[in-house]
Formats: sequence, C-alpha cells, structure tokens
Amino acid sequence: MTTIGTLILSGLGIYFLGILGVLIFPKKRTSLVLISGGGGSLILMAAGAVSLFSPDIFRTVLWTIPGLGPVTVTVDHLSAFFLIAVSLAAFPASLYAAPRIHGVRSALYLGLLISLAPVVITADVFSFLAAWEIMSIFLYLLINSGKEERPGYLMLALGEAGTLAVLAALLLLAGNTGGLSFHALKVSSMHITPGLQWTVFILSFFGFGVKAGLIPVNFWLPKAYAAAPPSVIPLIAGATLNLGLYGIIRINTDLLPVHSTGMGIVVLVTGAVTALIGILYATIEDDLKTLLAHSSIENAGIMTTALGAGMIFLATGYKGAAAIAFIASFYHLLNHSVYKTLLFIGAGTVEESTGLRSLDRMGGLLKTLQWTGFFMLIGVLSISAIPPFNGFVSEWLTLQSLLRSVELASLGIKIVFVAAGAVLALTAGLTVTCFVRAFSMGFLGMPRTEKPAGIRKAGKAALVSMAFLALISLSLGVLPTYVIPAIDKAVSPLTGINGSTALIPPFFNNAQEGNELPQHFVSDFQTIGAQIGKGTLPGRGLVVMHRGGKKNPVVFAMSTSYLFIMLFILLALTFLIVKFATRHRKTVKRPRWDGGIRNLLPEMTYTATGFAQPVRVIFNTILRPKVVDRREVIIKHFREAIHLKRKEVHLIDKLVLYPLSSASMWTAEKLARMHSGRVNSYAGYALFILILFLVIASFI
Amino acid sequence: MSNWVLKGLQSGVVTTRYPRKEEKAQGISPGFPDIDSQGGDINGREEDVCPTAALYGDSNSLKLDKGRCIHCFRCVRNTGHPVSWTSGFEWASFTEKGTPFPKIFQKSLYIRVVDSGDCGACLNEVKLLNNPLYNMHRLGLFITPTPRQADILLIVGPVTDHMKTALRKTYDAMPEPKRVMAVGSCALTGGIFSSGFTSGSGVSSLIPVDIEIPGCPPPPLAVLHGLLTLAGRTK
Amino acid sequence: MKLQETVNQMQSRWNTELKIDLDLSAGTAVVHCERNTVPPLCGWLFNTMEYHFTGLVPEEGTEEWKLIYFFTGEADLGSIQVQTSAPLNEETFQSVSPIVHAVDWHEREAEDLFGLVFEGHPRLGDFVLHDDAWQEGLAPMRSGFDSDLAHSQRKPKSNWKPRKVLDAPGAFVMPIGPVFSGEAESSHFLLETIGEEIVRALPRLFFKYRGVEKLAEGKSIHDALLLSERFAGTTAFSHALTFCTAAEKLSGGQIPERAELLRIFFAEMERFRHHIGIIEGICSSTGLVVAASQAGILEEKMLRLTGKLTGHRYFFGLAVPGGLSRDTDDEAIKEALKEIKGILHDLNTLEKLLKKTSSFLDRLEDVGIITPQQAQDFELAGPMARGSHFCNDVRKLLPYGMYPSLQFEVPCEREGDGYARLRIFFEEARQAAAFMNQAAAMIKPGPVYTPYSGGEGTALAGVETPGGASWQWLRVDKNNRITRYRIMPPSFANWHGFHLAVEKFAFQDFPIIKATLGLSVAENDR
Repeated sequence: MTTIGTLILSGLGIYFLGILGVLIFPKKRTSLVLISGGGGSLILMAAGAVSLFSPDIFRTVLWTIPGLGPVTVTVDHLSAFFLIAVSLAAFPASLYAAPRIHGVRSALYLGLLISLAPVVITADVFSFLAAWEIMSIFLYLLINSGKEERPGYLMLALGEAGTLAVLAALLLLAGNTGGLSFHALKVSSMHITPGLQWTVFILSFFGFGVKAGLIPVNFWLPKAYAAAPPSVIPLIAGATLNLGLYGIIRINTDLLPVHSTGMGIVVLVTGAVTALIGILYATIEDDLKTLLAHSSIENAGIMTTALGAGMIFLATGYKGAAAIAFIASFYHLLNHSVYKTLLFIGAGTVEESTGLRSLDRMGGLLKTLQWTGFFMLIGVLSISAIPPFNGFVSEWLTLQSLLRSVELASLGIKIVFVAAGAVLALTAGLTVTCFVRAFSMGFLGMPRTEKPAGIRKAGKAALVSMAFLALISLSLGVLPTYVIPAIDKAVSPLTGINGSTALIPPFFNNAQEGNELPQHFVSDFQTIGAQIGKGTLPGRGLVVMHRGGKKNPVVFAMSTSYLFIMLFILLALTFLIVKFATRHRKTVKRPRWDGGIRNLLPEMTYTATGFAQPVRVIFNTILRPKVVDRREVIIKHFREAIHLKRKEVHLIDKLVLYPLSSASMWTAEKLARMHSGRVNSYAGYALFILILFLVIASFI
Repeated sequence: MSNWVLKGLQSGVVTTRYPRKEEKAQGISPGFPDIDSQGGDINGREEDVCPTAALYGDSNSLKLDKGRCIHCFRCVRNTGHPVSWTSGFEWASFTEKGTPFPKIFQKSLYIRVVDSGDCGACLNEVKLLNNPLYNMHRLGLFITPTPRQADILLIVGPVTDHMKTALRKTYDAMPEPKRVMAVGSCALTGGIFSSGFTSGSGVSSLIPVDIEIPGCPPPPLAVLHGLLTLAGRTK
Repeated sequence: MKLQETVNQMQSRWNTELKIDLDLSAGTAVVHCERNTVPPLCGWLFNTMEYHFTGLVPEEGTEEWKLIYFFTGEADLGSIQVQTSAPLNEETFQSVSPIVHAVDWHEREAEDLFGLVFEGHPRLGDFVLHDDAWQEGLAPMRSGFDSDLAHSQRKPKSNWKPRKVLDAPGAFVMPIGPVFSGEAESSHFLLETIGEEIVRALPRLFFKYRGVEKLAEGKSIHDALLLSERFAGTTAFSHALTFCTAAEKLSGGQIPERAELLRIFFAEMERFRHHIGIIEGICSSTGLVVAASQAGILEEKMLRLTGKLTGHRYFFGLAVPGGLSRDTDDEAIKEALKEIKGILHDLNTLEKLLKKTSSFLDRLEDVGIITPQQAQDFELAGPMARGSHFCNDVRKLLPYGMYPSLQFEVPCEREGDGYARLRIFFEEARQAAAFMNQAAAMIKPGPVYTPYSGGEGTALAGVETPGGASWQWLRVDKNNRITRYRIMPPSFANWHGFHLAVEKFAFQDFPIIKATLGLSVAENDR
C-alpha cells in the first residue's frame, strides 16, 4: 500500500475507533471526539494533500461483489481536492463540537465524518451510491436529533428523490457500457448520444443539486440548518454542501465529455439565480442561523455560476478561460467551507452565550464577546469579498472569468454571461449589505434585550477553532498565487491545460525560459514592484493577472499579497504617526451624541428588520409579503395599537414546495380511497399488480 | 434645471462686503439706545420705564446694559425726555474667561447652533447667515449638525428647563478647543423670560460663555462679527 | 339670526340645565352648565351645528375652577362660550376629547399645568412638563405654586419610556432631536417604524416652554404686551396685535383709523415675509439650493425693509394698546410699496420656475397628505388647514379692525399635500401684497395713538396670524393687573395634527413635510 492508502485507511480507522470508543466509554466522549474527529480529519487532509501533489493517481480495488462488480477506490486530483476541502472544515468543526456533543449524537457525528471521505474517493456506481446514502442517513439523523421540529424529514424525502435521480442517471450511463466503475463509464461516454447526455445531465445536476443547495430543490436547506443542533451545524454547513458540487463536477465534467454549451448555460443560469435568491432572503432574515443558511445557498450559486461558465468555455474550446472559471469555482468552494464553518461556529457561540438567534434582539455583543466578535468580523469580511480576505479572490476570479465571454462567438451566450455577471454583481452588493447588517446588529450598538447581562463567555474550543479558520481565511486570501496552482492540479485534468500559468505571470522567474510574456511588458510590471520577494519566496510571483488579447494584454491585475503587506505597513505607520503626534495629548472620551435626548433607550436604535427594510421595499415584487395591518383605537383618533405583521413566504416554497406538498396530499387522499375495507377489492388490486408484472416481464 | 443656473447667474453678487468694507444698507440692525448723546430720562409713566432695567443710572450719567435691552423702544418714545438711538452692529464682547481661538483654528470654524427656547427671531437671524446676502461660507464658517465636528456652540434662547440636559449634552459632546457663544439678550440674561419657573436666566448659569452678542435679536451681521471676533479675525 | 336658533335648540335640548346669557348685538352667547353637560353640549355644537372649536381656557378663581370652551360659527352663527365650574377642592371634569378631538391637547395642557383631572381622557400626562424631567402633580399654573420648592423637590421619572403603539417584529423608535439638523427649533420626534416608512409619529414638544402665561400674571397690560410680542419672534406683530385687540376690547376705546390701516399694512407685511421664509424652508428641505437662496434674498430684503420702516426687523415695540408706538410717513410707505412690488415680482418668477421643476414637485406632490375630514376633526388652522380644503380665516369669520372694508377671498386647495400647501403660501403672499396696497391707498393723515385707558374684566381676541388663527384671553383685575392670560396659538392646534401628515410616508420625506407645514415650535411652546 502506498502512503495515500495508508493515510486514508488510518484516518477512517481513527474515526471508526472513535465511534467504538464513544459507544463503550460515553463519559470520555469529549476527548474521544476531539482526538478521533480532529485527528482523523487532519490525517485525511494530509492524504488529500499528498495525493494532490503526487503525479500518480492512487487506485485500488477493495473487493468484488458478485453481480455488481469491483468496489473501486480512486484518489485522483479531484478527489484529493475535495478531501482537503471537506477535512479543512471537519477539523475545526470537530474541535468545536467535541465539548458540546452528547450521547448518541457523538457517535452519529463521527458516523457522518466517516461517511464523508468515501463519497469522494469511491470510483464505481455501487459504492459511490452506497457511500452517498450512508452520508445522507447520518446527515438526516444528526439534523433530526435537534430538540425542535424535525425538518430532517423534508431533507430526507428530497434527498432521496435526488439520490433516485442520480441513480437513474448513473444507471443510464452504465446501461451504455455494462461496467459499473467510473473509469468504464468515462470511456464509454465518449460516444454517448446527445439525448442521453442531456437526460443524464438534468437528472444528476438537479439530483446532486439537492445537497448543493441549488434552486429549485433547496427548500429543505434553510429549515434544516436552522433546526440542526448548534454543535454539528458547522460540519454540516462546511462540508456536506461541497459533496453535492462534487457529484455535479464528477459526473458532468469528468465522466461525461463537455460538448454542449446548453448544459453550461443551464448550470450558469441556475447558479446565478440561486445566488441572487439566496442572498435576497439572507438579507431580510432575522434568525442568524437561517441567514447563514440562505447565504450558503448564495455561495453554492456563485460556485455553480463559475462552474457553468467553465463548462461553456470548455465546450466552445476556450480551455484557458475554462481553467480560470473552474479555478474560481473550486477556490470559492474552498473559501466557503472555511468562512461558513467560522460563521456558524460564531453564531453557535452567540446562541450559547446569550440564548439569542434573532438579530432584532441582539446588539452590543462586542462588549462581552470580544474575540467571538473579532473572528466573526473576519468571517464577515471574508464572505463579503473584502480584500485581503479569501472571499475577494474567488469572487474576483469568478467575475473575471465571466468577463472572458468577450472571446465567445455567440451573441446569445454573451448576453447570458453579461446577465449572469450583473446578477452576481448585485449579489455581491447584497452580500455586503447582508453581512454588515448581521455583524452590526449583532455585535455593535446597544444591547436590545436584558439577556446579554447574564452572558456567558465563549468556550476555549470555540475560540481556537474560530482562530484557526480565521487564519486560514486570511491565508487563502493573501496567498492566491500559491493556492491557485494547487487548485489547478485538480482542475487541469478536466480542462487538459495548465491554467495557473495563465493566471500567475512568472515575475519571480528569470525572464526568458518558458515565459510567454513579452520582455518589455514584464519589465513594466517589474518597475511597479511585481518582483519584490524574488529570490526569497518560492513560486511564480505574487500577482494574479487577468490577461487579454494582444492589443490589450492586461485586463486586470491584482495582488492581495502586496495589498496585505501595504495595508499592514500603512496601518502600522498611521498608528505610529498618530501615536507620535499625540504623545503629549491625553485622550478625552466624550459621551455618545444622541441628539441631546434625556435617555436613549435600546428600542430607539435601528433593528435588523429596519436595516433590511430598503431591500424589502426594492425587491417587493419578488418577496410579495403578506401584510396584516390591524389597528386598535380607543376612541376615534386615539390609537391603542397598530399591529403590523409581515410574512414573506420563500419564493421557492411558494413555487415548488407548497404545490408539491398539496399535490402529494391530494394524491394520497385519492389513493386512500383504495382502502375500502372490502376483501374482493384488495384481491382485485393483487390481480392487477400480477398482470402488470407479467406484462412488464414479457417485454424484458 | 438650466433655468436655475440662469436664475442664479442673473441675480449677480448680492453678498455684503463686510468685514472688508463697511455695510451701509438700511434696516440691517435694530440699534441700541444712545447713552452718550444728550437727553434721556429713564423715569416716567409705567409704560415708558425700561422693563428689564437695561437702562440705569440717572439722567446725568445714563448707563446701558446691552445684554438686557430687548428693543422695546420705550425709552425712545418716553414722552418726557426720550433718549436717542444708535445704529451699528459690532457689539460682540468677550466674557472674562473668553479668548479667541488659537491661530491654527482661525481660518475655518464649524458651528453647532442650539435653540434653548428662543422665540424664533434670533434663530432666524442666525439662519440668515447662510443667506446669499451674508453668506458666511465665504469666511470659512459653517453650521454643522453634529457637535462632534463643532468648534463653536452658538446658543440662542434663555435656556429653558427642558433644554438644560440637551444643551449640557451638546456641550459635553464637543471636542476641545471649543468656544461658547451666547446670542441675544435671552441667552445673555434671560431677557424678559428670566423670572419664570422653567425659563432660565441665560446660558452662563449652565455652561461657561466665551463671547456674548447682545440684541433682541442681534442682526446677522452682529452674529457674524461675533464669530469673526471669536476667530480672532477682527481688528 | 342663526345664533338665536342655536340658542333655542340648545334650550329645548337641555332645558333647565343651561343658563344662557345671549347678547345678539355682539353675536355672543355665554352658556353656563354643569360639568357633566359639557361633553354632550360641546359635541353637539361641534359635530351637529358645525361650530369651530377655538380653544379652552381653564381658570383658577378665588372660590372655584372655571373652564371656558370657545366655539365660533361661520357667518351669523356667532360665538358661544360654554362655561362650567367646580369648587376648588374638586378637580375632576368630564373630558370632551373623546367627542371633540380638537380639545385633546387643551385638556392635556390643563391637566399638566393646573392639575385638573379629565375623566374619560385616554392619554393624560407627559405633555407640557415632561415626565422624565418633572414628577406628576406639579400644577405650576396654580396660584399657590412655589417654584423654588418645586425645583428642590424635583423627582424626574428616570425609567420613563414613550408609550409605543406599533407592535410589529423588528419595530423600533427613531428619535429625532431635541438638538438636530443645522438650525432647527428644539423639538423632539419619536417615529415608530420598522424601517423606511413612519408608521406612527409622536412629536414631543414643549422643550422651549417658558411659561409665558404664568409670567404674565400680575403684570400690567404694558409689560405683558412685551411677552405676547416676544414668545414667537417671527410672527411678533400679529401676536402683539392679538394682545392689543383683547386689551382694547377691555377698555372699549377706539383706535385711530390711521393706526388701524397701518396695523393691517404691517400685519400683512409680516405675513408676506413669514411666507417667503416658509417657502425658503421648503426649497432648502428638498435641496434646491438656488431656489432657497432666491427666496432667502427676498426674505432678507423684507426684513431690511421692515427695519427701515419701523426701526426693528421683526416689528418689536411697534404695536401698543391704543394704536402704534410710532408713525410712519406716507412717503416711506410709498417707497416700501414699490420695493414690495419688485419682491412680489421676483416671488412670482420663483413660483413659475418651481412649478416647472419636476424633481422639486416630485418631493411635494402626494406627500404629507392631510384629508379635509382630518383637518376638521383636529380643527387645524391657517395655511395647513387651507391646503386641506378646511378654509376658515378669522379675517372673515370674526372680522377685526378694518378688514371688513377690504376685498379678499380666502385661498383654498383641495389635495392636502405638500404642493397644495406650497401653493397656499404663494397665494397668501400675493394676497398680503394686495392687502398692503389696499390699506396704503386708504391711509389718511392723522394720529396713530390714543392713550390707553385700561379696563377691568375679560376679553377674547382672535387675529389671523401668518400661521393661522391665534386667540388670546385676558382677565384683568380692578388694579389693572392681569390675573389670567391664555394664548391659544395656531401652532398649538396644528402640531396636534402634525402626525397626520408624516405618517405612512418615508423618513426622507419627513423634513420636507415638516417644512411644508410651516409650523413654529416657539409659538406652540410659549
């Protein structure tokens, strides 16, 4: 066995031992979950890293099941990337979960962990679906183990429908070949008919879309995330969403050849619409966890948009552009895992300390939860795509890749790209609004309830895990030129070219060899400092560049690395100058200016609802709230109360969930009539089924 | 929209040349009793006596407390021995503790206006400083809504009981160096409202005043003169 | 005469309960009744007979409390005073507010300042005296009130909270003031909202309460005149005129015709300047700087003209009981008329330009709407009411001075929005100029002052000030000292209806609506 195999096996083994340990010694569960969850995910991360950077692909056949074929494990670069992405979230999530998780839930938690890795490394239809199902079931059990209502049922039902669609898609593919291994599928799908490919694409895209949180099949997600126990939600939010995207990528870009731009457009448009709808509902949401859940949908939308762009570029032969789009998508996925885990841990800490989830009732938490607030701020800056944090890099790349559409020939597709770009820009703007609101209403201002008086400090585990994630967020943000080549390892098998060389000009290399850039152009950049760090730092450079054609060689270039350094220097300088200039001054603190009012009450400060009201007004046509305005009067003109209730039913709930559920209720009612209670009618049903089967059998 | 540009240009320059040149237009100031000229008798019928005792002394050596004068013109129409009347508007005077701003602050100053119960006349005269005819922006003087940016606290009104907290808070919210300017006889002494149970006897009972501008109301140029004095920009 | 009919109907309805002193020649009826008859009687007068409610005067006599509700009818309906009384140790009256909403603030003020109890009034407390500054039960207007004791035993309610009406998830209260904006009058607004739209507005006024009514007690007519002139400086002449009219009613003396005409001239001059100031405020609230500057130039020109003509830019010291303190020579008036003609021309040009500026009209049209019914229920006054087709004017209703001999129509608009009020301000400014011309044409040489003799008794006078009908009540004892002075300014009625205009509109419309209403805080706070 190779290193990779050993690492994976030991990682999974540690998880398994953890489960056994938790079941046998329930009192030691904190340290057991900590050691097995944290250790296992670290080892799996290492396995992913080793296999991502090794030129070979680790392949092994575990055993052969009669009738179904061999159970294959393949750790290619794509698997390796997702192994890293999942484990990166799983490690801090386990640190956070360890002291908080109780009873059988700790076993379920480790069970979910153990089921995550197999999903990305199994390489045949049977074992993939088995791993997928096990993961789904653990997810369902964990979500339903919360005390509140049980939204896991909705997730399970929808998830099973998704799995069925995926099963159908994979069986249709396999029907073409006879073999069940992914390799066989890939070989045979070279000659697949367009009709079959479309069917497989639609089934798998929306089947996996359930987990990935894409519209119109994501209505379970906000409900489930909001109700899931706080201790496990960081793992669920940070890791499982990625697996849905893994499925889409594995089938539609790896197994199936990318020929048609149509599929790309479906992916692109779905992604853009998902992003906008997601952030729109996040912006108006009052419950912090539900807000984060809606924001996960938005992020899934951004990843999917970039993915769609990549598929279109690939189908039209622009491999360079495709590489950038895929890199953007993967980069965003990695970033989202990190900051969403961070934000959910932060939200969990707030809930734990104050018992509050409603933003309307929070306020002023920064005074008591300084560190949680600080890390949340980093998470909020990252998700809002503020440089130098990680969200900026991936969103920048996504928008840049959409701009590449100028190279495309078809005007129609160009228009789709422009529209998607506009939607993403709007989404980015709303994201900032949403998270400025989430942070400022939660942590700044005055406490709006008595609660924060009896506040509890954040636990050590939570702070350590948040600190880890904040550090990763910053690193992914300031070191894009090192992250992009690593991601490119996973992307290049899909595109067939090395995309990172196009994005990262070799300013650190000596100009001549392998440098496709003209000499004078490079020297122009060198004069403005693109070479700072040459000789001391490894890699090609610290600048990420969006390159255009001959006439206009640079569309846009950026370097969060230099930006970070400059930012640091400027802030430090400012600090020092101010410190120096005011060294003889004493600081005088004046009371806050409140317009001279005698007593500024907490209810006189903006609420989260008030903050989001402009967004509600602007998007009124989409939100279509039901407003109940009931006014009580003592006598005419003397008002007792104005009761104003506003209810926004989620668009997808209204368009998909409610019709679906009423249709199934209707069907169930109709079918219930079959239960007449008369013996001869039951006999009739049996006879009917028998005949049906006979007819089917006669055709096969 | 272009109509407005045209309209604005048509009006030409209407702004006063003050302080570079004297302003000689009529009706820019209510003036004060002239105690230096001949005549003047402060006794008389009930309706002719100075109601706020701004005029005191006897007919040989008449004295005037400008801070108390409310321009009721009783002394002028005093049927026995009317005093005569002066115009002018450069009335601002520093209090004992009052000093102009240090040199580096003199070029541009921000003013927070607080209405502590005035009748509207003083406030209107202060508002008129932004009027094209006076246009205090040309002198680097601006009214600001927040005390945080303000250098000068300009107070009109006798400081009513209900405004005390607000005034105090505004003063406290201002950064150093700051100056307090009391405008109008109400703000200086309480004027005719001084003896009420909710109306105060002027600003100085609550916060230290640096410069006083008498008048009921002091015309815009008097306020402007006061602001320039506070900025150390008058001779 | 219809007043006779009203009185007859009153007698047949309430029969023995009423004691009516009818003075047909003066067109007044004084109705004395028991405390519990007041609400139905007032309700009947206001709702059925459509009399206007002009004010409530609470008085503390030596033996009894006395409440006087004033009603004024249109045409020859005359004026009616509904009087009721109670022994000093009984402080309870029946509230009229549930039936006549316009009485609301009058009763709240009486409760706050006199310590009277109005049974059936749903909202008492925290009005003139703020509950977070003073304890309840202070009653400073009572004769035995000890100011020093009140200050030394002051117990503000530190945990006072505004009474909230809005119940909605995420609702909050947006406080504005008391110190806000650049040079706004001190007032405090609590806007209940869930963001963007004002659902309920609660103006908290009387930050500038100076207690003028209390200060006037014990003063001579001449000293109290100074108070009436200076409690609202921008409309000083009209208020001084109201006071002088009341004082002259007491003495019964006539004033010279020249003084009457000059009074009209100056009162309309003040209205002209006041309205230009309001127009300036509306323009600057919408950010239309050039228009605001243009109006500002005209306002300052008017102030200078006033200063030139009368010695004081705000007419201080001009009106006295018995006429005017100074004469103005006819040449100067002719000059002034010439100048006013020029200013009016500029004002008309400004109006034309404003009506062509769609960005400006967009901010005013359909914004800040008060319906005619609301205006009637709240008995609004002045331009604010006339913008909502509630068009009463004291100069027509109870003409005073030389107004009956002058020609004019009361301007009236139907929409009740900000733009309707702006048109009213322009129209009234034009009308004021026309008044000045008419009055100047009639002026003949003569004295402007007859010595004021004084007199004992009570008098009510109403004058149409720039802001609307202002009523003042005087009671003077035999030593010529004022024992009760009551000011019922138009702003007091109009601030009561302020929330009607701003509710259901967005935050950003608030300053604009406030500007189009043209209300004075100083006048209300007294």
